[in-house]
Amino acid sequence: MHHGGQTLIVKRHGHGHHAESEHFDPDKMRNSIVAACLSCGVPHGHADSISRRITGEVAEWLKDKPEVTSEDLRRTATHYLKTHHPDAAYLYEHHRSTF
Amino acid sequence: MDIPSSLAIVALAALIHASFQLSVSVLTLLSGHAIGSKRSQAKVLRLSWGFITGVGVMTLLTLSFISLILLHSFGPVDVPLVVWAIACGLVFGIGVAVWIFYFRKEKGTKLWIPRSFAEHLTDRSKTTKHSVEAFSLGLTSVIGELIFIIPSMVITALVLLELPSVWQLAGIAIYVLISLLGLLVVSSLIGGGYSISKIQKWREENKGFLQFSAGSALVALGFFVYISKVVAEASGVV
Repeated sequence: MHHGGQTLIVKRHGHGHHAESEHFDPDKMRNSIVAACLSCGVPHGHADSISRRITGEVAEWLKDKPEVTSEDLRRTATHYLKTHHPDAAYLYEHHRSTF
Repeated sequence: MDIPSSLAIVALAALIHASFQLSVSVLTLLSGHAIGSKRSQAKVLRLSWGFITGVGVMTLLTLSFISLILLHSFGPVDVPLVVWAIACGLVFGIGVAVWIFYFRKEKGTKLWIPRSFAEHLTDRSKTTKHSVEAFSLGLTSVIGELIFIIPSMVITALVLLELPSVWQLAGIAIYVLISLLGLLVVSSLIGGGYSISKIQKWREENKGFLQFSAGSALVALGFFVYISKVVAEASGVV
């Protein structure tokens, strides 16, 4: 399976528009999806299996894409997560817009 | 003003304070990260209580500090009516500002606080692992929403200065306890296993109502105190 590890993720920061980039890290994505699932009361094992499935789907989507923004990545992961657990998808999508 | 009326004003001001959402947001995020990091339910509750204690202590200190400044400036019973009028104007003005500005007009529950401060609180919520860090996060979050809670605190301090000293202590305790109600409810829900996403969704769906009610309550408080204190004393009714 392609892991999307070569795709560059471009992050844009705040008002200064200072852009940083890093390679796609499947473990980082898996951990944040597990965290969102656990916050919704999903049991550990199920959260782990959902996160693996979503990370695989996102890696597949990243195939042949040399560069995406972190917003695109989050939007796509949210889109896949919605079909598995809408509440977790909501939390995953909005975790930086709480206040 | 008699003691029951004074305490009623203190309770209303504290309820308005409780309706402001920054501390609730930080608590939600803090608990979400703690649960997401596979910490035990007992640890999540300890973090929540550490945070709530921090908020309570900072509220207590800020209210006492404002009361002390007013006491030193004007003495216990001689606060000029113009100071009351200015305080009512402040409450009224912030009430109108809350109507217009409190939540940002975008998805989520983003507030009109400096973005750098919001990012700092977000990052600190993520990295908080010990109760003492949660306590200091609670202290900081009160400072973050100071602009919105200052009017309720100024009115409370002015009212408290007119009370006998035993009732002043009771008034401070009433204010702090009521101002923590929102946090206590959210903490109980999370402790009871309620999903964080459901709490956050409810807050987002009702943010317009929360904003309107907080602004309206501030306007009503300013108007009530202005009539019952400034107008009544200036016209010689009391």
